[in-house]
Amino acid sequence: MAQLSDAVLFEYLHIEIVGYIHRCADENEKDHCIAKLESLGFRVGQSLVERFTRESTRFKDELDTMKFICKDFWNSVYRKQIDNLRTNHQGVYVLQDNKFRFLTQISNGKQYMDVAPKFLAFPCGMIRGALANLGVNSVVTAEVSAMPACKFQIQIQRT
Amino acid sequence: MAVCVAVIAKENYPLFIKTIPTDNELKFYYTVHTSLDVVEEKISSVGKNTNDMRELYLGLLYPTEDYKVYGYVTNTKVKFVIIMESSNTNLRDNEIRSMFRKLHGAYSDMLCNPFYTPGENITSRSFEEVVLAMMQQD
Amino acid sequence: MSRQSSRAPDPRKVNGELFTLTYGALVAQLLKDYEDDDEVNRQLEKMGYNIGVRLIEDFLARSNVSRCNDFRETADQIAKVAFKMYLGVTPVVSNWSAAGDEFSLLIENNPLTDFVELPDGHTDLNYSNLLCGALKGAMEMVQMEVDVKFVQDQLKGDNITELRLKFIRRLEDAVPAGED
Repeated sequence: MAQLSDAVLFEYLHIEIVGYIHRCADENEKDHCIAKLESLGFRVGQSLVERFTRESTRFKDELDTMKFICKDFWNSVYRKQIDNLRTNHQGVYVLQDNKFRFLTQISNGKQYMDVAPKFLAFPCGMIRGALANLGVNSVVTAEVSAMPACKFQIQIQRT
Repeated sequence: MAVCVAVIAKENYPLFIKTIPTDNELKFYYTVHTSLDVVEEKISSVGKNTNDMRELYLGLLYPTEDYKVYGYVTNTKVKFVIIMESSNTNLRDNEIRSMFRKLHGAYSDMLCNPFYTPGENITSRSFEEVVLAMMQQD
Repeated sequence: MSRQSSRAPDPRKVNGELFTLTYGALVAQLLKDYEDDDEVNRQLEKMGYNIGVRLIEDFLARSNVSRCNDFRETADQIAKVAFKMYLGVTPVVSNWSAAGDEFSLLIENNPLTDFVELPDGHTDLNYSNLLCGALKGAMEMVQMEVDVKFVQDQLKGDNITELRLKFIRRLEDAVPAGED
């Protein structure tokens, strides 16, 4: 599959960031590292979505916003769309990506369950940041069932 | 030609207000403040089925004797308000629209500065330059 | 029911922005972590080095460039092929030293600094120092030890951004990774 070269640069940068954040933390601070990566992603998501929606018409509702994340946002960032979007219509959305770009770099070894969360924190943050800037507060988590497929669960926080 | 340009956060507090040099800055602040109600009204009055009415540019919010107040709301719920002098009669809607687009572009560039914390007052030099240019041109 | 997608953003541009924004978030984080410009410069160079070491493989595979005969050819490859490929800009190669072992890359619009306005009091920060590390790392993999540093930076008000590369020595003994 042809991949544009600047995408490679971004992936290598992401690997370095994950490495840096974990280097300067103790073994028992793993949660802290995940939170830090997530907050970096959050800030990037905030900025990206401001740019991506400049030419869009105004979003109708929450579902409209979610479809934007699955299609336009995903396509812009990962060059593909989400493969499956499900919702329970009570504020939980599950986005499935059958071939998540950040996981395709990790080898298929058994240790992947340990490694995967590190590489999913930043993407989760990006989703949460994009949604927050669009006025939707949420908690985003990711789960890997079989590499490199990944499910992102978005839980809308209503006040 | 604009006499006042304002950026209002999604929580409805001002992030940035610039007016032409005047003794009566407060008057503009007040006008911007009252215009927010009209913005809210315009956004919520749009029926959910009318696709064509979902443009970011909201058009003329209301005219006063001396001024015309225009509004724009981004998908991220940030509001832009531009006040023009009413004496400027040959003003076309498209010109106002393109001013807002320029402002939106400058705002999103500003937001992308990694050293800016979203929600803080806007102090960016390049953003201010864009605004000042809008207040100077003829 | 489906949204009318507006003009889809140019994916190439978007990926550049994604990189630029992510890099910015990293630099801001480093400044918070260290509060010391020199240490931030060091960290950025280190990360850049690691990226360069990996990136050279990608570069050689993708660009089909032949082996460079001299440092001048190397300079051209860096500016016209590598920078163009990964950052979308082509710096001007200039200011050669008399001995031909030192040159400058003049960058008009450094994509890493799009959107950036440096906060006050960071005169020693080399915001784009990742580039120095990346060049060093990549060159080492092709048996060249070079010194890379910023001498001018538009971010700090200079007219141009200038990277200075100095050839130190050829690394004859090193066995490159993945080669027998």
